[in-house]
Amino acid sequence: MIQVKNLVKRYGNLLALDHFSLDVLDGEIFGLLGPNGSGKTTAINCMLSLLTYDKGEISLFGRPMSPTNYQNKQEIGVVMQNVAVFNELTVYENIDYFCGLYVPEKRRRRELVEQALDFAGLQEYRKFLPGKLSGGLLRRLNIACGVAHQPKLIFFDEPTVAVDPQSRNSILEGIRKLNQDGATIVYTSHYMEEVEQLCSRIMIMDHGKELNTGAPAELKSMIRGGEKVTVELPTLPPAVLENIRELEDVERADYNGLSLKAACRTGGHGLIQILDLLRKNHLGFGRVFSEPPTLNDVFLEITGRELRD
Amino acid sequence: MFWNIYSKRLISTLRDKSTLVWTWVFPLVMATLFYFAFTSLDSVDQFHTIPAAVVAEGGEQEAQAFRQVLESVSEQGEDQLFSLQTTASREEAEQLLDQGKIDGFFMTDNQEPTLFVKKNGLNQTIMKAFLDQYLQDQEAVITIIHESPEQAGKLQTLFSRESFTKEISLAENPPTNKINYFYALIAMVCLYGSFQGLTSVSCLQANLSPLGARRCLSPVSRFVMVSADLLAGVTAHMLSLLVLLAYLILVLNVNFGGKTALILLTSLAGCVTGVSFGALVSVCTKMKEAAKTAVLVSVSLACCFLAGLMVSGINYTVAKNAPVLAWINPAARITDAFYCLYYYDTYDQYFLNILVLLLMAAVMTGLTAIFLRRQQYESI
Repeated sequence: MIQVKNLVKRYGNLLALDHFSLDVLDGEIFGLLGPNGSGKTTAINCMLSLLTYDKGEISLFGRPMSPTNYQNKQEIGVVMQNVAVFNELTVYENIDYFCGLYVPEKRRRRELVEQALDFAGLQEYRKFLPGKLSGGLLRRLNIACGVAHQPKLIFFDEPTVAVDPQSRNSILEGIRKLNQDGATIVYTSHYMEEVEQLCSRIMIMDHGKELNTGAPAELKSMIRGGEKVTVELPTLPPAVLENIRELEDVERADYNGLSLKAACRTGGHGLIQILDLLRKNHLGFGRVFSEPPTLNDVFLEITGRELRD
Repeated sequence: MFWNIYSKRLISTLRDKSTLVWTWVFPLVMATLFYFAFTSLDSVDQFHTIPAAVVAEGGEQEAQAFRQVLESVSEQGEDQLFSLQTTASREEAEQLLDQGKIDGFFMTDNQEPTLFVKKNGLNQTIMKAFLDQYLQDQEAVITIIHESPEQAGKLQTLFSRESFTKEISLAENPPTNKINYFYALIAMVCLYGSFQGLTSVSCLQANLSPLGARRCLSPVSRFVMVSADLLAGVTAHMLSLLVLLAYLILVLNVNFGGKTALILLTSLAGCVTGVSFGALVSVCTKMKEAAKTAVLVSVSLACCFLAGLMVSGINYTVAKNAPVLAWINPAARITDAFYCLYYYDTYDQYFLNILVLLLMAAVMTGLTAIFLRRQQYESI
């Protein structure tokens, strides 16, 4: 569906995309995960021929992409990071306008607009101007405008930024439905939880480069770490912390004055060993948490820093 | 597809509050202010009778003759020169002069009539000229009667004041100063169309707005998109001009000398030129929208200034010293077209102005299309 080879994009002296390559398969939800400024939006804008690039090849639907390749553009839907609607047009008119750029036939367009209103849950707001909508509804309008013409390939560029949890779930549900209806999705976000639960394959990128690509489970299996343990305790003498770090199944451990955080080895018994050691040293503790590794851990493992840094 | 883009764009423009204020309400407010400010402008040049007095002293034949002449030019009618009062004494006349009720008074008690005024001014000058003329004529009559009594029969020709030139109007309409300000207002509103052009093109530039970026991704050529947008801009702006013209003609009763169809044609040509000018400025300058707006305002004001819409006479200086600049100045062409309609009874100059405006619009729209077609972004 999408093939990008050795894409290089510079903004002056800044290398935004460094020999970036990508393959998106037909029918999948492909996630581009990376911190802010990692090059996700630049990559998408290059794929859409919105930006010029210095080197590389991009083809969509097996055809080279260019600003005047209207055949490709006809089959693409885009939901941009920033809401892009006319403030003076109502919800219905906005969807009708953007759908009309792809579907000239009026009757067909009317059906599609109604479907988009249903899809985005905007039926009761159809006569509202965008200025009267909440942030979440505005995002849903943005999505409805981008997908109303039922494209085969849809780019979602951080569609849930600044959206409340309820609207976020609704948006993610909608994206899943679009995929079930046959659309291939490219989804960018720096929210690892979203990407993890939504995408069939994920590319983790940073500094304009691919760091790793695979299914969420594959990516998580790449890291050495197993479960992450958090123990709330008021004091932890440095000697005891040192003993914890020396435990067989503990990869690393840190104490911040309130809680102990430890990364354990895969398949080990780190949690049991840590709690035993604390009891032996007569150290009382509060709540204990244990969670499996996340994509953030994968990112941390690869880059040494957190996704949201 | 074109209709969809055009109609939505038109609706969007007509609902835009800032457009509503600047292109609909503001010109109406300006028109009303102009109307009240310049209503008396045309009456400034009209002659008003001069309040004067004559002291009824001196019963000699010369004094009576002079008073008779004064009374004859003070009779009500088109040729009335003075609003004359007759006072019994000089003191009474001086009192009227002090109170400002008269501009001067004549005394006839001496050998020849004399004029008394308190200050200099147009009316006082006219009174002095009247007296001088009377004395000159009196002297001529006495000389002729004394030296050539046989020519006395021809004295009538001396006072006939026959003019050998005739004042005619070049057009059906009387000259008026007030109308120029309304032309200026219409020309300014036409150039305000540039903001429509600016908005239309800005909404198609990915580096200026998310909406521009979103529209660039659609499978519609930029030429179709910008054509529909500009046409919607012209339509919306022309509607505002129609409202302004209707207000001027029907409410304020401004006389544009008839020729409504040609007035509308001028407005349309000016509107198209204004919109295409804004589009060109928007597409060929790499600035943010606020900076582009500032450029448009500055250029529009400069055009209006060079067209003589702020300082009277500048347009003649420009036309004499920089004729090319005068010809490519849309404000100058719009106002000149209106002048031609109002004052001339032929249409050659008028249609030349319209042709120049439409040519400028065509060139600017063509350049906009070329720039847009080639426009790609290194960053957005």
